[in-house]
Amino acid sequence: MHTETKDYDNDLRIARPIVEGKRTLKQIDDAIIAPLDRLPNIKFWIAISFTLTLLMIGATALAFSFYYGTGLWGNNNPVGWALPIVNFVFWVGIGHAGTLISAILFLLRQRWRNGIARFAEAMTIFAVITALIFPIIHTGRPWVAAVYLLPYPNQHSLWVNFTSPLLWDVFAVSTYFTVSFVFWYVGLIPDFAVLRDRATGKIKKLLYSVFSLGWRFSNRHWKHYEMMYLILAGMATPLVLSVHTIVSFDFAVSILPGWHTTIFPPYFVAGAIFSGFAMVQNSLVIIRKIFDMEDLIPISTLELMNKIILLTGMMVGYAYTMEFFIAWYSGNQPETFAFVNRAFGPYAWAYWIMFSCNVFIPQLFWFKKVRRNLFLMFIIAVFVNVGMWFERFVITVTSLSRDFLPSSWAYYTPTITDFAILIGSFGLFFTLVLIFVRVLPAIAIAEIKAVTEQGQPSHTHLHIGNGKSNEAH
Amino acid sequence: MGASITVEYVKKALPSGLIKWSSIGLIVGLALVIFSATMDMQRLAFSSLLGYMFVMSIAMGALFFIALDHITGSIWSTPFRRIAEILTNAIWLAPIMAAPILYNIFLEMGGHGMFDMYHWTHDAVVAADPFLSQKAPYLNESSFIFRTVLIWVLMIIFKFILVGNSYKQDKTFNHKTNKVNAAFSAIFMAVFAVSITLTAIDFMMSLEPHWFSTIFGIYYFAGTFACIVAMITLIAVNFNEKGLMIEGINKDHYYSLGGWMFAFTTFWMYIAFSQFMLIWYANIPEETFWYMPRMEGTWAYLSIALIFIKFLVPFGLSIQRPSKTNPKRLKLVAMWIIGAHIYDIWWVSYPTYSHLKETHSPFFGWQELGFVLFAISAVFFVFAIAAKNKNIVPIGDAKMERAINFHL
Amino acid sequence: MIKENLYAISALFDTPDSIMKAADNISTEYKRFDVNTPYPVHGMDDAMKLTPSRIGYFTISIGLFCMSFMLYFMYWSNSVDYPQVIGGKPFFAFPAYVPIMFEITILTGAVLSVAMMISVLFKFPNNAHPLHDSGYMKAVSSDKYGIYVEAKDSNFDYSKLEKQFKELGASSVSPIYYDEEEVDWKPNTWDPKFVIGTIGIAILTSFSVYMHMNKVLFMVPFDWMMNQERADYGETSEFFADGYSMRVAPVGTIARGFIPYQYDSPDSASKYMTNPTVASEHNLELGQRKFLTYCSPCHGNMAEGASRLKGNMPPGPDLRTEFYQNFTDGRFYHTITKGKGIMAGYESQITREERWAIINYIRTLQKAFGTPVVKTEEEIAENSETKTEASE
Repeated sequence: MHTETKDYDNDLRIARPIVEGKRTLKQIDDAIIAPLDRLPNIKFWIAISFTLTLLMIGATALAFSFYYGTGLWGNNNPVGWALPIVNFVFWVGIGHAGTLISAILFLLRQRWRNGIARFAEAMTIFAVITALIFPIIHTGRPWVAAVYLLPYPNQHSLWVNFTSPLLWDVFAVSTYFTVSFVFWYVGLIPDFAVLRDRATGKIKKLLYSVFSLGWRFSNRHWKHYEMMYLILAGMATPLVLSVHTIVSFDFAVSILPGWHTTIFPPYFVAGAIFSGFAMVQNSLVIIRKIFDMEDLIPISTLELMNKIILLTGMMVGYAYTMEFFIAWYSGNQPETFAFVNRAFGPYAWAYWIMFSCNVFIPQLFWFKKVRRNLFLMFIIAVFVNVGMWFERFVITVTSLSRDFLPSSWAYYTPTITDFAILIGSFGLFFTLVLIFVRVLPAIAIAEIKAVTEQGQPSHTHLHIGNGKSNEAH
Repeated sequence: MGASITVEYVKKALPSGLIKWSSIGLIVGLALVIFSATMDMQRLAFSSLLGYMFVMSIAMGALFFIALDHITGSIWSTPFRRIAEILTNAIWLAPIMAAPILYNIFLEMGGHGMFDMYHWTHDAVVAADPFLSQKAPYLNESSFIFRTVLIWVLMIIFKFILVGNSYKQDKTFNHKTNKVNAAFSAIFMAVFAVSITLTAIDFMMSLEPHWFSTIFGIYYFAGTFACIVAMITLIAVNFNEKGLMIEGINKDHYYSLGGWMFAFTTFWMYIAFSQFMLIWYANIPEETFWYMPRMEGTWAYLSIALIFIKFLVPFGLSIQRPSKTNPKRLKLVAMWIIGAHIYDIWWVSYPTYSHLKETHSPFFGWQELGFVLFAISAVFFVFAIAAKNKNIVPIGDAKMERAINFHL
Repeated sequence: MIKENLYAISALFDTPDSIMKAADNISTEYKRFDVNTPYPVHGMDDAMKLTPSRIGYFTISIGLFCMSFMLYFMYWSNSVDYPQVIGGKPFFAFPAYVPIMFEITILTGAVLSVAMMISVLFKFPNNAHPLHDSGYMKAVSSDKYGIYVEAKDSNFDYSKLEKQFKELGASSVSPIYYDEEEVDWKPNTWDPKFVIGTIGIAILTSFSVYMHMNKVLFMVPFDWMMNQERADYGETSEFFADGYSMRVAPVGTIARGFIPYQYDSPDSASKYMTNPTVASEHNLELGQRKFLTYCSPCHGNMAEGASRLKGNMPPGPDLRTEFYQNFTDGRFYHTITKGKGIMAGYESQITREERWAIINYIRTLQKAFGTPVVKTEEEIAENSETKTEASE
C-alpha cells in the first residue's frame, strides 16, 4: 500500500498510474460486471423512462411526417437542406470521438484510454445509428432509400451516381458503422468469455457462449488478436478522418459561397472530434457516478479529455479565422457577403451562439481548476455541443437562405416536427446507451486489467503518458 | 525538485563528416548561387524561394516539435528534442534565404524592382485590377516585409524562451522549467498557426494573387511536419549509431519517429487530394486556373510524379512495422521525405516562373540544385556550429528518466 | 488416478512474472502447449517463442484487391454500361472515385480479415473445446495465469510435468479431460443434425424467396412500382370529363425540332429554296439509303419508274428524263414534302437533311442514266419557267 502521497502533478519523474487505488483483478471483474447481474436501481429506471419519452416524441413526429409528407417540416425554397442534414452531420460528428478514443489514442499508446474505450466505441455505434436515420428519412419516402442508394443490377442499367458526394456518404457511413461495429465486437469477445465463465443462468450462459465464439484466452490467439486490433485501429483512424471529410464534401463540392472552401475537410473533422469529446465527457461524468466507477475512470482521464476539447476548439477557431480572412482576400463579393451575412444578417443570433459556445467558452479549460471540476466541465461540454449543432445549422442554412440570387432569398424556420425529430434522436441515442450499460460491460475488462499496476511483468510499469517505462531498480 | 544526475550521458565529439561535408556543400552551393545571381536574378529569386521555404520549415517545424513535446508531456520525443532545439538555429539563415526576394520587393516599394516575381508588386497592374486593389491592404510591399520580419522576430523570441530554458535546465535540473516551457508552448502554438499560414500565403500563394485556398496553410504545415520529423530522424539515427546519444534509445523510439513520418506523409496526401478534388469538382474557373498549368504538357507528368514522390514511395517504404524500426530504412525514408518536401515547394512555385517566361515548360536546372544544395548544407552547417558545445540530449529534463528505455 | 480421456495437464500461476518464467521454461521442451491469460501479457509471445502474426499482409492484399474491383465496377457502370454526362464530368471521373475506393479498401480489409482470423486462425466458433467449463478456464478468465501441456505432446509425462510446474511456483496443478461425449466424436459431413439443419434452411429460404417474389411483391404497399398512381393507357379516368386517360395533344402542339414548312406551291419553293447540302460521299450515301427506303417502291430502284407495288398503286414516273432534269432542287423538295397527286407528302417521315440528300442522289442518277442532255443551272432555271409540267 502506498502510504506516502505522490505529487504526480509536480514531479515529472514519476507518472500517474492509470488505474488509481488498488484493486485486484477479481475486484475489477466484480466492479464492472456487478451492474449487469443485479436489477437496475431507481435512478436507471427514471433515466430510461425519460429517454424513452423523448424517443416516443420523435417516433410520433416521424410517423406524422411519413403519413402527411415532408410539408410538415420547415424546408422551403431555397433552404431545401435543413434540419435533417444538420442533425445527420451533428450525430456523425459525435460518433467520431468514440473512434478517436478507441483507435487513435490506442495508436498513440495513450493507455489512459483503456478505461473509457469500450464506452466510447459503443457511443460511436449508437451515434452512427442515430445519424443514419436522417439520410434514410430525409426524402420523406424511406421505403425507396435502398433502391436509390445501392448499386443493384437491374434491366435498365440504372446505376447509382458514383460521382455524387451523397453516395460517397452512403459508402463512408456504412463502412464506418460496419468497421466500428466489428472493432467493438472484437473487443467484446474476451469480455463475453468472462461473462460466460461467471454465468449462472442457463440462457445467459448459452447466449454468452455463442457471442464469445468459444474464446479461450489462449496466448496463441491473443497474438493474432492484438495484431488485428492494431490493424483495425490503424484502419479506423484514416476511416474516421475520411468519413467526416466525405460529409464535408457534401457541402464543399458545391459552388455556394460559404460552402465551397477547401478547408472544410480538416475543419469538419476537428469539429467532429470537438463535439464528440464533449458528448463522451458528459456521458462519462454521469456514468461513473451512477455505477461507482470513479477509480476506474479517474478525474485525470476527464482532464485529459478536456484538454483535447480545448485543442480541437482552437482548431475550429483557426478554421473560422481562415474562412473569414480568405473570404475577404478573395475579393469574391458573394463570398464576402456570405460571411458578413452570417455575422450580421437575419441568422446573426445563431452565429453568435455558435461563436461564443465554440470559441469563447472552451477557453475556460485553460484553467486547471476548471478542467478538474466535474460540474463546470459538464456545463462547458453541454455548451460545446450546443455550439457545434449551431455551427452545422449556420453553415447549412445561411448559405442556402441567401445565395447568389436575391430574389430567391427566404428565411427558414424549423417547425415543431423538426424539433421533435431532433429530440427523438437524443432519446434514441441515450436509450441505446442506457441499455448498453445495463447489458454489456461498460469498461473493457481485459483492457483495464492489462493496465493495472500489477498487470504486467515486473520489468515494465504502466503509467499515463507512455506505455512502459523503466523504473530504476 | 532538483535531483542528482540519474541520466548517464557522455558528451562526445560530433562526427567529423558533418562539418566537413556541410562546409563543402555550403561553399559549392554558395558559388553556384553567386554565379546564378550574376546571370539571372529572377531565376535566383525563384530558386531562393525553395531555400527559404525549406529553411522556414526546419526552423518553425523544429519549434513546433519542441512545443509539442512540452505541451503533451510526451516521453518518447524527449531524447530527440535537443536535436530539434539545435535545428531552430536555422532561423538565422532565413534572412539570407529571403534576401533576393525581399530586396526586390523593397525595390518595388520605390517603383521598380529588378525583376518580375510577385504580380501584386506592380502598382499599375494593381490599380487597374479591382481584385488586386481590393487585396492591397494586405498584399502590399511594406506589410509583406513587416509580416516576414515579424514572424522571424517571434520565432527568435520563442527560440530564446523555449530553447534557452532547455539549455539552462541541463545545468539546474529544475523540474519547474518543464511547466514554464509547457505554458509558453501553449502560447507558441497559436503564434505558430498564424505564422506558418501567413508564410505560406505570402510567399507561395501570392505568386498567383488571384488564387486562394483556405487549406493552403495546412498544406504547407503537413509538408513541414513530415520534413522536420524526417530531419530529426536522420540526425538522431545517425548520431545514435555513432553513440553520441544516450543508452536506452531503442527500437520503440525509432518506431515513433517512423510512425510520425508515415502518418504525416498520409496526412499530406489527404490535404493535397482534398484541395485538388474540391477545386476540380466545382470546376470554377476562378479557382481551377491554378491547377490548369500543372495539368498540361510536361507538368502533367510532374504532377503525377508528385503523388509518387511525396506519397506512394514513402508510404510503401514505411508501412510495414519492421521498416519503422530499421535504422537504414529510417534514414532512407527521412532523406526521401526531405527531398520530396523540396520537390513539393518547387511544384507549387515554379509554374509561375514558367508563366513569367511565357512558356509551359518547367524549369529545373543547376540554379535550383545549387540553391537547394546551399540551403541544405547551410542548415547542417549551422547545426554543426551550434551543437559544438551543447549536449545532444536534454539531460536536465525531468522526463528523461522515463524517456530512456521507453517501450510501446 | 489419471483417466483415459486426458486432454492436458494444466497449472495456474498468480503473477505475470511467474507465468512468463513458466512459459519460457516449458517452451524449450514441449511443442503442444499453450498459455492462457485474462489479458495479453507483454513479452509472452517471445517467451513462448512464437512467430509474429502475419495478418497485416492479408488485410492489405484483400483490401487492395476489392478496391480494384470496385474501381473497375465504377469505370464499367459509368463509362461502358450507361455513360451519362453528369455535372460536366468526364465519364471516367477518377478524382470522384477516390473516396469510394478508399472506403471499400477499409471495409473489405477490416471485415474480411476479422472473418478470416475468427474462422481460419482461431477456428471459431468452437464451444466444445476441452478447456471450456473447467475450473482452469474459470480461473484464467478472471485473475489467474495458466499454462497447459497437451497429452498428445511427444515428451508428455504427467508426473514429471506435475513436479516441474510445482517447482516453477504454480499455485495449483490439475488435469483437464475431454468431455465424455467428445472423446469418440469425429466431425462427420453427414451428421444428422447438420443435414437436417441444412435441408431446413434450404426449405425455409426457398419458401421465403418464393413468397417474397411471387406474393409479397404483388401486395400493397410493395406493389408500388406495378401499380403507380398515374394514368395508364386504357384506364378509366376519374379526372377528365370524357373518362379517357389517353389525351389528344392540344391544338397547335408541334413536335420538338419541328419547323413549319412555309412554301405553299411548287413554284415558290422552286424560286426561293436552294439546296444547302453538299453532295459529299456521306450525303449521297444517306440519299441512296433513304431513296431506296421511301422512293423506290413507286419510282424503282434506279428511279426508272418501275414499281414494285404490283398494280396496287400507279407507278411513279421516271425521274431521269429531261423533264425532271429541268426540275430545280427546290421543286423536288416541295414534291417530297407535300406530295403531288397520288403521291403523299413525306414531311413526317424524311428529315430535311435527308430530303436534300435524296435530291442529290436523284441528280447523280440523272447524270448516270438520264437522257444525254445534261443541263447547267441557268438552262434548268430558264426551262422550268417556260415549261408546264406533264400530267400524270
